[in-house]
Amino acid sequence: MTVEERLLAYLDRELAAADRAAFEAELAIDPALAAQVERHQGLAARVAGAYAPVLDEPVPPALVAAASAANDRGRPRLGLPQWAAMAACLVVGVVAGRALWPQNGPLASQGQALIAQGGLDRALTLQLAADAGPIRVGLSFHARDGRYCRTFQSPADRLAGLACRADGRWIAETTTAWTPQDHPDYRTAASATPPAVLAAVDALIAGEAFDAPAERAARDHGWKR
Amino acid sequence: MNGLEREIVGLLPRLRRFARTLARAPADADDLVQLTVERALTRRDQWRSGTRLDSWMFRIMKNAWIDEARARTRQGGLFAPAEAGERVGDDGAGAMEARLAAAEVERAMARLPDDQRLAVALVLVEGLSYQEAANVLEIPAGTLTSRLVRGRMALLADLAEARP
Repeated sequence: MTVEERLLAYLDRELAAADRAAFEAELAIDPALAAQVERHQGLAARVAGAYAPVLDEPVPPALVAAASAANDRGRPRLGLPQWAAMAACLVVGVVAGRALWPQNGPLASQGQALIAQGGLDRALTLQLAADAGPIRVGLSFHARDGRYCRTFQSPADRLAGLACRADGRWIAETTTAWTPQDHPDYRTAASATPPAVLAAVDALIAGEAFDAPAERAARDHGWKR
Repeated sequence: MNGLEREIVGLLPRLRRFARTLARAPADADDLVQLTVERALTRRDQWRSGTRLDSWMFRIMKNAWIDEARARTRQGGLFAPAEAGERVGDDGAGAMEARLAAAEVERAMARLPDDQRLAVALVLVEGLSYQEAANVLEIPAGTLTSRLVRGRMALLADLAEARP
């Protein structure tokens, strides 16, 4: 191991305990070595910091669609376990009055748009923010272009986003990866809405988000103005 | 969505971050993520459940990037040159300063050879252990550490020069 390799292995916590202790003993009496460690520590923090903001950016809907295989591109042949899943989905789909397979993700791509379907579509259409369910609906509001928009979080799909009503469908404007583990309070607070979704709300909203009576009224009118 | 797809959605922010260390223009980086996701789903039978999905997908992305880099040198290529990745900040002075500092790091990273940049990105940005990073890059651990050292020394020299 060269001097540099050893120094970096120490910084990266890759040294075994005994080697680590030996290195720290040298560090204590060698200011030049300590200075070198500090420079590399600074570099590591700078490099990590330069790319960290990417994690907070909204994930483009096209990527979520690709990952959730909401479009059929690259869909593999069905193996046995998937046939079983397919049968289960068909039962659910028939009960719901709609075949969920093969587009069984929460979002389906149609042209450039991502359309909410299945449970997500139902939640956005029927659920109030106060209602419990596998999907949570957060804020509802009027967009500046007059559409109704709502934020949602689906722990099962690891997805959060913002969808707006147009032509009787909910079109996803923003989606972002979201895991409930990161947000233990998601059941109780609409404030658990991820920053990327809140930013999208800010960009679209006209006036204030609806209070509970306004939300209920909009739902009861079928999200039509 | 089944289990694998759900896990991939959860990984998208990290896949986007890793892609940004390779293709600097955000749109190119997202194209690389999309290609990676599509390849992963096509080869889903090659992933062993219980092993690390992030390492497996980073490896797919690394290979996709190397394929693309070859195609690019052959035919002038699809991806924009690195400088097209520069973004102009329109927000506050603090954010602007942070973005300039980040852009400096991105430029220095872009000047590293691919093999060193991959090693630095996996360890310093993605926080993988040496062994995990060596597995992703499909190289021996000793090769990884020497690339890491060279990459980090070059970055230090480069960024020190850029300092006032």
